[in-house]
Amino acid sequence: MAKGKPSRKPTTNPKAQSRRSGPNVLRSLSALFFSLLLGSLLLGVLGVGLYMVYLDAVIRTEFDQKRWAMPAKVYARPLELFETMSFSADDFAKELKLLHYRDVNCPDPPPAPPVSGNKRSFRRKPQRPPENCTPPAHGGASPDRAGTFARQGETFEIMTREFPFWDGTEPTRRVRLVFAGNILVEMSSLDGQENPGLLRLDPPEIAGIYPAHYEDRILLKSKDLPPILVDSLLAVEDRAFFEHSGINPKGIFRALVANLRAGRTVQGGSTLTQQLVKNLFLSNEKRLTRKINEMLMALLIDARYGKDDILEAYSNAIYLGQDGSRAIHGFGLASQFYFGEALEDLELHQIALLVGLIQGASFYDPRRHPDRAKERRSLVLDVMVEQNLISAEDAATAKALPLDVTEKMASGITAYPAFLDLVQRQLRRYYDAQDLVSEGLRVYTTLDPRVQAVAENTLANKLPALEKTQRRARPLQGAAVVTNTQTGEVLAMVGDREPKRVGYNRAFDAKRPAGSLVKPVVYLTALEDPERYTLMTLLKDSPLVYTSGGRRWTPANYDKRYHGLVTLRDALARSYNIPVVRVGLDMDVINVVKMFQRLGLERDLKPYPSLLLGALDASAFEVAQVYASIASGGFRIPLRAIREVTDATGKSLKHYTMEVEKVVEPGPIYLIINAMQQVVKAGTASAMKSKLSPDLNIAGKTGTTDDYRDSWFAGFSGNRLAVVWLGRDDNKPTGLSGSSGALPVWMDLMAGLNLEPLEPPLPAGVDEIRVNPRSGLRMSQGCRSGQLVPFLAGSGPRGSTSCGGSPPVVRRPRPQATPDASGDGDGMRDFFQQLME
Amino acid sequence: MPPSDLPPAEITREGNQAVAALLDSADKYAKSNQLDKAGAALERALRIEPRNAGIWHDLAQIRLHQGQYQQAESLASKSNNLANGNQNLQSRNWKLISAARKASGNTRGAEEAEAQASQSR
Repeated sequence: MAKGKPSRKPTTNPKAQSRRSGPNVLRSLSALFFSLLLGSLLLGVLGVGLYMVYLDAVIRTEFDQKRWAMPAKVYARPLELFETMSFSADDFAKELKLLHYRDVNCPDPPPAPPVSGNKRSFRRKPQRPPENCTPPAHGGASPDRAGTFARQGETFEIMTREFPFWDGTEPTRRVRLVFAGNILVEMSSLDGQENPGLLRLDPPEIAGIYPAHYEDRILLKSKDLPPILVDSLLAVEDRAFFEHSGINPKGIFRALVANLRAGRTVQGGSTLTQQLVKNLFLSNEKRLTRKINEMLMALLIDARYGKDDILEAYSNAIYLGQDGSRAIHGFGLASQFYFGEALEDLELHQIALLVGLIQGASFYDPRRHPDRAKERRSLVLDVMVEQNLISAEDAATAKALPLDVTEKMASGITAYPAFLDLVQRQLRRYYDAQDLVSEGLRVYTTLDPRVQAVAENTLANKLPALEKTQRRARPLQGAAVVTNTQTGEVLAMVGDREPKRVGYNRAFDAKRPAGSLVKPVVYLTALEDPERYTLMTLLKDSPLVYTSGGRRWTPANYDKRYHGLVTLRDALARSYNIPVVRVGLDMDVINVVKMFQRLGLERDLKPYPSLLLGALDASAFEVAQVYASIASGGFRIPLRAIREVTDATGKSLKHYTMEVEKVVEPGPIYLIINAMQQVVKAGTASAMKSKLSPDLNIAGKTGTTDDYRDSWFAGFSGNRLAVVWLGRDDNKPTGLSGSSGALPVWMDLMAGLNLEPLEPPLPAGVDEIRVNPRSGLRMSQGCRSGQLVPFLAGSGPRGSTSCGGSPPVVRRPRPQATPDASGDGDGMRDFFQQLME
Repeated sequence: MPPSDLPPAEITREGNQAVAALLDSADKYAKSNQLDKAGAALERALRIEPRNAGIWHDLAQIRLHQGQYQQAESLASKSNNLANGNQNLQSRNWKLISAARKASGNTRGAEEAEAQASQSR
């Protein structure tokens, strides 16, 4: 810490200084002078004593609360390790990195260079140690402290950290983990205890929530403040900080003299304590009473709190920039905001810039006014040399360096802004904003950092490639959601092709027409009625005119052709438009709306026929909810991003229970999943096999909207569901269909995950019958050709066909009283004649 | 409140080595009537083995004892959906559904479920 030298405010750049404060400060300083006179007069009066008592109370409640207000801490899912699980050694190494486990065989970062005399010497950052440090051949070091590990090839020795989970404390353990390819094959104890069947690591911390009044900060403890930052801060802003008692009359006087001499404001007389008061309590108006209040409160704070506490509060409160409506307070967040790095990793030239910004964060904004910022930084470096904090050579080196601010503003809150946005929405159901920012809550989320990284990288790599093939797509945007099919937990969410960019979460807020993604829901509605529809029902793909409200509507297929009679399953697989309209009108659109609501789309939808072709604005998240109910076998499980909220001590406050509701019988769900698998096997997503094994039996659906404005793919394996949307923010055509745009992104994304095949159990009441997949007729006994197709019991085809022969004209009897879409067409024709005119 | 004649929750404890410890502790919690904790342990086990029909059944039992009848019924259905060919478990699920329906006043539904239970046996 800088020991107080005879205090003198540094001669700062007069031009800059006057810009910051201008005549106003002059006015307020002269006001200050009078206020001092006035103040000393009033001091005799009892009223002042009472007023001090009042201010003291304000400080105690406000200052303590604001200073110690603890943001909610947000954690990713803890990694649970067990033998036979799918996880590779490299995945594990990444997890350890995220948790800041230390490799005991890596050399420690070089110690801080020796301090010569009173000066610190600075170098460029040491080279980062390599990702993995292989121990020497004759056995390296073993992990000896919690939070350390040693790696050799695919074998790890690790000593885990203790962690207080809400359901019990996970003790520290020493274990050996052996991976073989993508499987954890061995997990054995090294600490003499039983082998852990299941090992839960501590969860990676991913964010803090601190949104009060759009203020955002990363809270630092005084011990986390780099000494050079503290030294230069004091040198520039308040050299007598450790001596004065909240205000510094000498400093004020000196500033006054300097300002009078210069004829304008060249120095400010505020101590750090006063600046803190201004940042915490007072408005920016320059009034006499405010100045008096500021001084009184500074005195009180100094009397009540230690210098370190004040310094800590100052470092967290000082205003250092603006990001739209979000004010950037504190060095911790400013470091992220300007440099995208943790404060502790900053170099001299960056620290000097931060200290310089205190004078006027907007005037010296390094992004908007780089020249001013550089000038200001040089001045701070000069002061540091003058105060013997650094050598002149170091200052010269630092001055020559670029500002090094990140071009795009990195999020100060989290590396996962879209996911955190979802977390906040789900938190707000139970907590008001105040609790979240002040109570030190701990929020345990479902985020899987590995899955999230795959999703982010896929979008980042794939979108530029797609823009090359389709120039119209530029600038292409995208969103993705990945969930666990069985538990409804959200594993990853990306809301921007640049996933760290904060602001517009397309996965949630971009509501775009769902296009053909609605088709499985329409057909599912029909398949619930086995008397009328089965997967093999023949539908007419022929010109259709529908009149509604005096307007004629003639849906067409994407390929502008008609394909005659097609089975329901093929109509879905190839995404024909006319058959789905026929079926949807036949089932009544209102029932399709109800099906959407049952599957989890919780809002009012108008039962317009255009819904059948995807005129339904939905976000990727909403689509994920609807498809998740299908993927889980007809059970709606509200998608959750949170598992648990505890208080700062780990006591459970709110458990986000997995809630399950059966919304569709397993039979019809089994059928629609079979049809969605056909989309992949032989339909619009048949390109899938180039990336993902056909054995995964993936089910899904492409979606394309008018003029290729939106490109969708939604689908699932046995364990993972993903939805990808691509489009432009200005909603202009991209030239990409679901198959040519979202599907390849989806495939790459899923290929990066550990997938299990989709093998839904055959529900009671479903029979698999061998049929001719084109005609839908049952194959004669003993035929090996044809395909096994599931039917709800009793709804199997009546007619049969010989092996390989042409189908005879025997059909199921037409169901009575319902317009028939099953092939001979009369019913359908009658029905539409009724509808038309 | 759940009916007083409800048999105690018995954790099935059919799972691989990884979840065995979790099921043990769920069992312990269930026996000492710490149902929230039992439920949390079972949810954790489900994350590891999401297609283990026995765990879904166990969770259904816990919800039944917590008086969450609709959840109990849905979870038992989910268990049934996964309990392919395991007639014993299916029968127990139907019994559970019957108890849940009875407790929520749906006598007829309870009888139907009871009939299903005897069919599955």
